[in-house]
Amino acid sequence: MTTRRDFLRNGWKVGSTLLAVAATWTLWESLRPLSTKSSSGVVKLGNPANFASDTATYVPEGRLYVTNATSPAGAQLFALSQKCPHLGCKVPFCTSSGRFECACHGSVFDIGGEWIEGPAPRGMDRIAMTVVGDSLVADTKKVTPGPDHGASEYFSPPKGPNCLGKG
Amino acid sequence: MTDVTTTDEPSSDEQRDALEPKATYGATGRISARVQRSDAWRSVFRHPTSDTPRGRALQSFSNFFLHLYPVKIPARVLKLRYSFRLGFISAVLFGILTATGIYLMFFYTPAVGSAYGDMQQIKTGVGFGELVRNVHRWSAHLMVLAVFLHLVRVFYASAYKHPREFNWVIGVILLLLTLGLSFTGYLLPWDQLSYWAVTVGTDLVHYVPLIGSPLQNLLIGGDQIGQPTLLRFYALHVAVLPATVVLVLSVHIWRVRKDGFAVERASVGAFSEEATDVPGGGPASAPAELYSGRTRVLGVVDRESVTAEERPVDDTVFTWPHLIVRHVVVALGVATAVLAAGVAAVAPLRGLANPNLTPEPAKAPWYFSGLQELLAHFDPVIAGILIPSAAVVALLLLPYIDRNPATEARNRKVAVVIFSGLLAAAVALTVIGTFFRGPGWTFVAPWTHWYVEL
Repeated sequence: MTTRRDFLRNGWKVGSTLLAVAATWTLWESLRPLSTKSSSGVVKLGNPANFASDTATYVPEGRLYVTNATSPAGAQLFALSQKCPHLGCKVPFCTSSGRFECACHGSVFDIGGEWIEGPAPRGMDRIAMTVVGDSLVADTKKVTPGPDHGASEYFSPPKGPNCLGKG
Repeated sequence: MTDVTTTDEPSSDEQRDALEPKATYGATGRISARVQRSDAWRSVFRHPTSDTPRGRALQSFSNFFLHLYPVKIPARVLKLRYSFRLGFISAVLFGILTATGIYLMFFYTPAVGSAYGDMQQIKTGVGFGELVRNVHRWSAHLMVLAVFLHLVRVFYASAYKHPREFNWVIGVILLLLTLGLSFTGYLLPWDQLSYWAVTVGTDLVHYVPLIGSPLQNLLIGGDQIGQPTLLRFYALHVAVLPATVVLVLSVHIWRVRKDGFAVERASVGAFSEEATDVPGGGPASAPAELYSGRTRVLGVVDRESVTAEERPVDDTVFTWPHLIVRHVVVALGVATAVLAAGVAAVAPLRGLANPNLTPEPAKAPWYFSGLQELLAHFDPVIAGILIPSAAVVALLLLPYIDRNPATEARNRKVAVVIFSGLLAAAVALTVIGTFFRGPGWTFVAPWTHWYVEL
């Protein structure tokens, strides 16, 4: 039989546990970042014809690159997030080699954002683009993770010396 | 029960007067003697000033600050090479960081628009601002180093073994808190160095299985480093983490004191703690249950009254003044060192944080550069999450895994070899990551290009 003493002896433990859970949940809910609805995430990129083949154009407002990648199948425009999928550094485009080369940990991507080497777990993330009138528009809220290792649709050998000082 | 009553404070003014020094010299001596006998003085300083063992013990008992220490400690604790004072040095650095940090708080607003300007103002327009910031920065780096060396020292001294297992765990928590303090402080200048070091550091979190992304968003208050991140890191840096350190450090020091300040060493002979134990269940007149187990009288007792029975030789010395004087000297030495460093070397402040430009190379603070080195070789889940978590868990559980009671190196070879190997690996990775890595994390010899960021 449960005595009143037993009930109180265990009751305060159960009660404090419930309080702790409630406090943690409350704290999580209050500190959880709210979605930033203020900015729409839509960035105008200009006329698609402005992007010459095998070039990467940096768009600071969207923190993205627009690349015109060519492959045997044809040319394709991409909006690639500047954020390295490894640890979030901005991946600079190396014009001499024609590749993305991350200065933080040495990940290298081709002009289509596909992984070539380095510690990054996948290719560069792609941002959705639509054509409005005669202008390209990127929606930075719509991001698809970059292609897995092994994708090499837009791969080409380096055009020249790389920017990382590798031999 | 006479020995118990003698630990109390003198009950009457007559008793206190009897304990005060008798000699007075000249008019000032008479005046100070008069002041020290006044009710007001005695309301503040409740202990007598007599320089006798009993007087010193009573001073320790009645003084809050001295009460952090035991009244008596084993004599070998006084030797510098016993502990190298590393724990105390860490605590002193924490004190210096608190003082300099509070000063800097008067001139700093944690807002993206103004933080960097405030830093420039501190460097150029605030009285001693640059010096205080330099001292704060170098003390922070030094504290990480001191806490780490303290851990290493405690390992090799076997000081985590019974009964100190849990105090080791508390120590590891304090190491993590120190790293957290240093890392949160790293963001506050809002320059290129802080922005990208913290970007890399917090991006690691999203590799945590299942809860990674929500956890990262909670930490940085959004999906990228920005105003919420700066405010969160500021609140953690100036309030949450320091308050936690004060609390946890208090428990840590209290347990050091309760555990007798020194590791038992069989080869040295009787452990000093036993020297103050009441042998054989205590005086015959006292109730036996008062003296069961390891009751200590802490040396306040007039020895003759207790040592009617045989007991080991007492090798303990009074903490005040022997240890306190040494601690004061060490504290002054540490303060001098960081002040000299602050005068000699200016803490870096790079350009304003620019989310559109990653500097080359982007390095984490030096104590994370070993981790960054690992990340260049292994999958982020392994190098960024599994290996560091395993290291922390192994450190936390060390006293419960290593149940070997031996304290000499020759009797605990396995533990020493494993720990030394892992320690060497960690140091090697840190040295390579800090000194030998340049843009693109390529190998660069430090004598050709210097890419060290502090």
